Amino acid sequence: MAKYLGLDRLGKIFQIIRQSGGIKNAYMKLYRFDDLKVGTLVGTDKYGNRYYENPYYFYGRNRWVEYADHLNLEYDGSQIPADWYGWMHYKTDLPPIRDGSRPKYKWMADHSENLSGTKEQYMPYSTTPPKVQAWDPKKSK
Amino acid sequence: MFRAPLTKVIQGRFGSPTHGITSKAIRSSAALSQTPAKAPEKIEVFVDDVSVKVLPGTTVLQACAVAGVEIPRFCYHERLSVAGNCRMCLVEVEKSPKPVAACAMPVMKGWRIKTNSEMTRKAREGVMEFLLMNHPLDCPICDQGGECDLQDQAMAFGSDRSRFTDINHTGKRAVEDKNFGPLVKGIMTRCIHCTRCVRFACEVAGVEDLGTTGRGNDMQIGTYVEKLFLSELSGNVIDLCPVGALTSKPYSFVARPWEIRKVSSIDVLDAVGSNIVVSTRTNEVLRIVPRENEDINEEWLADKSRFACDGLKRQRLVAPMVRMPNGELQAVEWEGALISVAKAIKDAKGAVAAIAGQLVDVESLVALKDLLNRNGGETLCTEQNFNVKGSGSDLRSNYVCNTTIADLEQADAVLLIGTNPRYEAPLINTRLRKSYINNEMDIASIGPKIDLSYNHQNLGEDAGLISQVCNGGHPFSKVLENAKKPAIVLGANVLERPDAAGIHTTVASYCKKLNKQGWNAFNVLQNNAGQTGALDVGYQPGTQAALKAQPKVLILLGADGGKVDREKLPKDCYVIYIGHHGDNGASIADAVLPGAAYTEKQAIYVNTEGRAQQTLAAVSPPGMAREDWKILRALSEILGTPLPYDNLDDLRNRIEDIAPHLVRFGKLESSTFGNLTEQLATSKSIENTKIDVKQKKLREYFMTDPISRASPTMARCVREVSGEEAKEESQRQAAC
Amino acid sequence: MLRSVAALVNKTSKVLVCNSGYSSTLFVNGAFGPAINTIALRQQQTMPVVDSNNPLPKKSASPFGRNQPNMVEWSIARLDDLLNWGRKGSIWPLTFGLACCAVEMMHIAAPRYDMDRYGVVFRASPRQADVIIVAGTLTNKMAPALRKVYDQMPEPRWVISMGSCANGGGYYHYSYSVVRGCDRIIPVDIYVPGCPPTAEALMYGVLQLQKKVKRMKTLQMWYRK
Repeated sequence: MAKYLGLDRLGKIFQIIRQSGGIKNAYMKLYRFDDLKVGTLVGTDKYGNRYYENPYYFYGRNRWVEYADHLNLEYDGSQIPADWYGWMHYKTDLPPIRDGSRPKYKWMADHSENLSGTKEQYMPYSTTPPKVQAWDPKKSK
Repeated sequence: MFRAPLTKVIQGRFGSPTHGITSKAIRSSAALSQTPAKAPEKIEVFVDDVSVKVLPGTTVLQACAVAGVEIPRFCYHERLSVAGNCRMCLVEVEKSPKPVAACAMPVMKGWRIKTNSEMTRKAREGVMEFLLMNHPLDCPICDQGGECDLQDQAMAFGSDRSRFTDINHTGKRAVEDKNFGPLVKGIMTRCIHCTRCVRFACEVAGVEDLGTTGRGNDMQIGTYVEKLFLSELSGNVIDLCPVGALTSKPYSFVARPWEIRKVSSIDVLDAVGSNIVVSTRTNEVLRIVPRENEDINEEWLADKSRFACDGLKRQRLVAPMVRMPNGELQAVEWEGALISVAKAIKDAKGAVAAIAGQLVDVESLVALKDLLNRNGGETLCTEQNFNVKGSGSDLRSNYVCNTTIADLEQADAVLLIGTNPRYEAPLINTRLRKSYINNEMDIASIGPKIDLSYNHQNLGEDAGLISQVCNGGHPFSKVLENAKKPAIVLGANVLERPDAAGIHTTVASYCKKLNKQGWNAFNVLQNNAGQTGALDVGYQPGTQAALKAQPKVLILLGADGGKVDREKLPKDCYVIYIGHHGDNGASIADAVLPGAAYTEKQAIYVNTEGRAQQTLAAVSPPGMAREDWKILRALSEILGTPLPYDNLDDLRNRIEDIAPHLVRFGKLESSTFGNLTEQLATSKSIENTKIDVKQKKLREYFMTDPISRASPTMARCVREVSGEEAKEESQRQAAC
Repeated sequence: MLRSVAALVNKTSKVLVCNSGYSSTLFVNGAFGPAINTIALRQQQTMPVVDSNNPLPKKSASPFGRNQPNMVEWSIARLDDLLNWGRKGSIWPLTFGLACCAVEMMHIAAPRYDMDRYGVVFRASPRQADVIIVAGTLTNKMAPALRKVYDQMPEPRWVISMGSCANGGGYYHYSYSVVRGCDRIIPVDIYVPGCPPTAEALMYGVLQLQKKVKRMKTLQMWYRK
């Protein structure tokens, strides 16, 4: 009966607000992510991103990330490190914190986000040799 | 490259400008020049039922050309002897049982030639089938593709289907590739044995290196024994080859003819002023090929002019440079460079001198002269000396080839003094050689023993011989005096000697005696493209004047000959170099202003016979480099003495004011006042020293100017040719 | 342990960045200068690690920050923020599907990726579009049409180049009939790599464009003039 009246949805909203930690926090979450969901916290990565899962939602939307608080609105898909990427994309059901068999080598670089649009962005440079070779006064001596 | 466009061949009715004009064809045909000049009684023949009147002795092919019908050909070439071995030019002649080879058969009165009949077409198809049977199907990887006579004519005249069934290629001819040297690439399987290259080497270049060996299917074109094709004209066989057997090595796999942009221009690497076509793509000079000009280079081009174009991409000055306090040249912006240069010129307060180099165009010469004159400098000279006092460079006839290049071909006695035209001006040497073959010209030289590619009499090395000949006391004087069209060619290097004035006057006054109506025997063979133009606009010859003036500022306008160095200049002299290559000039300079090379500007050059021609800009100057005259114009603005021209037209008007002949392009102005030379002469004495020429061997030919010195192709030529010449030398000694 | 090391990296990162800026001027002459530089940067540039004891300062919601020198500039910056917010919330792309990339482009409109939730709606007319998505191989024959369509778009306009072919000719780079990258015809803002890029990649490209729009200084530039 409650289902037909949509009361379960109402219950969900309360659940979500409770999980978010109050109306204000829930509003801030909606403001940041344009979405409000309730789910179990699967894990947190060292950059502060929190990963959630709730099979109640449709496949494809049942795993999501809430980016670290300090990022505010400047979050980006590339801030998800590679180990969590696999879980987010359903490549594996085992999140990295529970998967002990993942290799860890010394040469593995730390994750870096997409720097496009910032000062540190990658700028391509030409690898073709110049058509005209300039005279170098130092070489001629 | 010299073939008519495909459409024209197919249409047949329109003779191409190259082949269509019979008068030209007749004049230059080696076969016909031997026929005695009879009364011009023309005979009538019919080409495809069109009546044509031609001189007796005209070949069928030429008669067809008069009628505007193009006959396909491979072996026939207007400037070479007739071989008649490709059989592509077969045409039907009425009442003749067999088709006749049009290139070799003289027409008879009343012949009816059918160029488009069933028999003619079948004959062509048959010949084409035979040619293609033994020709590889490698057009996609062949450099000739797109400009291949065989390709075009197979399209136009070949059969539309193949009967070639040997898909395993069991019997297909294959020939080993040959090494002809660093310039010509020989892929001999593609050869169709037209023997154009062999005839060119023997007749025009005068190097009997190429020939055929074997018979029938085993016939091969080659150098008999493994050796290089040592000629300064070797590049022309690339143009002559109707297929891809001989292609350009530096240009191999670079571009297809339909991708390139062609710009007609003038060559400046020797003083002949050959007409060229510069092929460019994406602002890069890819190759240089000759353009036809009957008065200058016919349709040949010397190797240096053709292959040194890759030097335009090396050792270039791309940014203005100023010498820093630590003694190093540092690239700076134009503004900074011009301001420091202007400051130096201002501080000099008129103690400014300029030296113009080898490859300088008239525009920049005039701009520099105007600029200096406005700033109190009067000392402007050329790097190449022309040590003639008295009339000196005031009279134009003193420093040009008065006989003209085309007319040297008709000379019947020539005396060369201290010059090696074979390397100083290869295309003038071909004229002399032509005259040697056709007119049985007597030719003698004073100077070291050299190989001129034809037999000549070497009178000796002593300069005293000049006065002997000119006094009429030498046996060769008789030859000259009895000749109908005698000519004396003075090398530019002779006129750098201290006794140059004496030699010049002696020869000039002797030539006055030799001159006939409409024939001037006196020639000076310049070897720098910029020299004649510089003297025309009033530069003093020789660097002495500039060095003697002890200038505070010295402007080197492309002067790279190494005749100026720091020791000869005052210590505080500020040297400014304006030019396009980093060479001797730029390395001693305090400020370097990058200019444009001859392919990068529209500029006037005057060749050794005094013919003004203009180059066109094919590419833009690299980096921050600018056209030389524009640099000078900008500099004048900063100096506060702006030059009164802002564009090329204004500058040309100014040049016209100075010397009107310099803007009449392609025309030759005959020099007058030649008779005054003697009256103005100061000295006639000649020292009895040896006369020397700079370029004696082929290896000395390749690198003579900043462009060719920067060219990797020319460096390779020098390396390989030196090796080959050393090998030949040792073989000759072993044989002795 | 790991955390403390990372924190150290984080603390020194500013110094290192300054150093790299200096070294780039040193390296610029060598052919490998930029490459070494990027490698060096890659080693240093990590995202800040969160430590619950001393939380990181929150990033500003506005790319221009809140510290303008005076009141007028502050308000203009806010107006810009407002304008950009409006613009980025309704980026209407013009489809320019040229090849297989176009199929992926269709996918972002479908429910799984659902571009509409970002206010991204395909328009069929260049006059109503804000961004053109060049999806696929741009041939020489199509190039003038692309330019014409781009010219018809109203300002401000953006370009997303989608896939290798549009980025730089891709597989057909050496073809005689293909433009070696659509940036030879029109100025590209976002390059989406891939052959073809996944719909997700294109989506990410649209989000990157949103970020770019967010940085636009329309009014601030006008005011400065």
